Amino acid sequence: MNMFDESNSEDEDIQEALAVGKIKPGLIIEEQKKNFINNKAGLKDKIKEFSLDKFKWIERFDLANEPAPLVGFNDQENSQLENDDFNRELKFYRQAQATVLEGLAILRKLSIPTRRPDDYFAEMAKSDEHMKKVRAKLLEKKISMEKSEKAKKLREMRKYGKKVQKENMLKRQKEKKEMLDSVKKFRKGQIDRLDLFDETIERQPKNSEPAKGKQQFKPNKRREYKNKRFGFGGQKKRSKYNTADSAADMGDFSAKRAHGKGPGKRNIKHKGQGTRPGKSKRKNLKNRNK
Amino acid sequence: MAKRKQITDNSSSGLKPKKQKKDVILQPVVQSDAPVERQTKWKNKQRVLVFSSRGISFRTRHLMNDLRTMMPHSKAEPKMDRKDKLFIINEICEMKNCNKCLYFEGKKKQDVYLWASNVPKGPSAKFLVENIHTMSELKLTGNCLKGSRPLLSFDKAFNSEPHWMLLKELFVQIFGTPNHHPKSQPFIDHVFSFSIQDNRIWFRNYQILAEDGSLAEIGPRFVLNPIRIFASSFGGATLYQNPYYVSPNEFRRTLRQQKADKYNQRQEAKVSQELRRPEITYNMDPTDEVFNTITESDFKK
Repeated sequence: MNMFDESNSEDEDIQEALAVGKIKPGLIIEEQKKNFINNKAGLKDKIKEFSLDKFKWIERFDLANEPAPLVGFNDQENSQLENDDFNRELKFYRQAQATVLEGLAILRKLSIPTRRPDDYFAEMAKSDEHMKKVRAKLLEKKISMEKSEKAKKLREMRKYGKKVQKENMLKRQKEKKEMLDSVKKFRKGQIDRLDLFDETIERQPKNSEPAKGKQQFKPNKRREYKNKRFGFGGQKKRSKYNTADSAADMGDFSAKRAHGKGPGKRNIKHKGQGTRPGKSKRKNLKNRNK
Repeated sequence: MAKRKQITDNSSSGLKPKKQKKDVILQPVVQSDAPVERQTKWKNKQRVLVFSSRGISFRTRHLMNDLRTMMPHSKAEPKMDRKDKLFIINEICEMKNCNKCLYFEGKKKQDVYLWASNVPKGPSAKFLVENIHTMSELKLTGNCLKGSRPLLSFDKAFNSEPHWMLLKELFVQIFGTPNHHPKSQPFIDHVFSFSIQDNRIWFRNYQILAEDGSLAEIGPRFVLNPIRIFASSFGGATLYQNPYYVSPNEFRRTLRQQKADKYNQRQEAKVSQELRRPEITYNMDPTDEVFNTITESDFKK
């Protein structure tokens, strides 16, 4: 009984701890977090003990500044800074800049010279030789940049030149084609004007009256004759009736040809394949065969 | 003795009337003929011992030498044996008459630690030095007088927390060249900037090119990752411990572990795939096939 009681109370403890959040479900025991020392009071005491606040600023020369405002840039957010070398460096630079602006103003007020005269010679932190190297490096970088820029430009120009060349060629081809086309059309008579090599050639009109497209095409002689003879267009009905005029017309009569004398008869003789004999003759022929 | 006092009196009395006049603007450039006013006595007597342990890389050595050139109030000392205990440094400083110390500690030929300490009484701080660029790099184009006093530029964040405040005070005393130090130059032409980013302190050194605030970087540049702050010099109670600090050994270990994990994970994936593959993909009824007649096409298959 006693034993049971004990285990029961233990369970209750665990349940309570779980409810509070000390324990989490599962078998994994969370590794206890290291306790990091941060003795703020001790730190403050230590600062008081060894600080040189009693000295004037001129002895200490320290300034705490926010980065100087940027001109012409958007202020970047801090989260971006951590992985961006350029912006991080810029932030440091601006902080130093703010300090310089503030510090120099104070020094000026205290009338302490800051800039050395141009003919003041003293040992520098970096030797002249080193500075020569630095300058050479800068120059080299500049030259290489210029070179690459030039090459880039040249490449671009070449590309552009090619494009222009191609365009020119296409244009010339098109012009040539157009010219040949127009010459062809002119020759065929579809157009009357031709601009050729800065000269304008115009078709001389054949007749005094302006030539129309329809009259350009004339039927051949045979057709013309037939048209004349049989008529072309217009009413064909009653056109062949004899009239007083037609009866009186003797234009076609020729004494030479009249009564089968002329060559006109010959024509008739030659017509057909052998002339058909008369009726009695045909009858006789039939009987003969019987 | 009396003479010296007079000089100091003169300077202080000379300042006072100028203070009363508002906005006295001196010409920024002084004639070189005029003797630069120099004081033989200086108040802020800081002497910094800058030295290292054995086994530092060439880059660290260059950085150390750069710091020595930038700080006219520094003193040098031969490299210390690694076997020696750190508190010996206190005695070395005492011998050298130094009250501040910058001690570079090289480990494993790749990691560099920096101790910055206020010598007899503390505090001291230990940093991991990362991303070292020395002054001899050609991309850093600035230059300044050797021994001119730097302006010390601090991030606003240095005033936010006690440990940052303490480090700021320590840096002011170590890196700031004392006014009227005999080896210093009387002009101000460069800035040391300390910025906090990513829980680290980023050190930069800029030349002041013009009064309008255009700068050029001189170098060196490095990043200090604080590890611990101790109450006394090179030891004592820990006042602060950086929770974000990951030791380089651990960092490298995780990198290696990640690489190793890749292989292990692949193997595990294979095994688990085998385990999860079902033996029977579909329950077939064997009686279904009873009436299937075998045709020629089945043979072809």
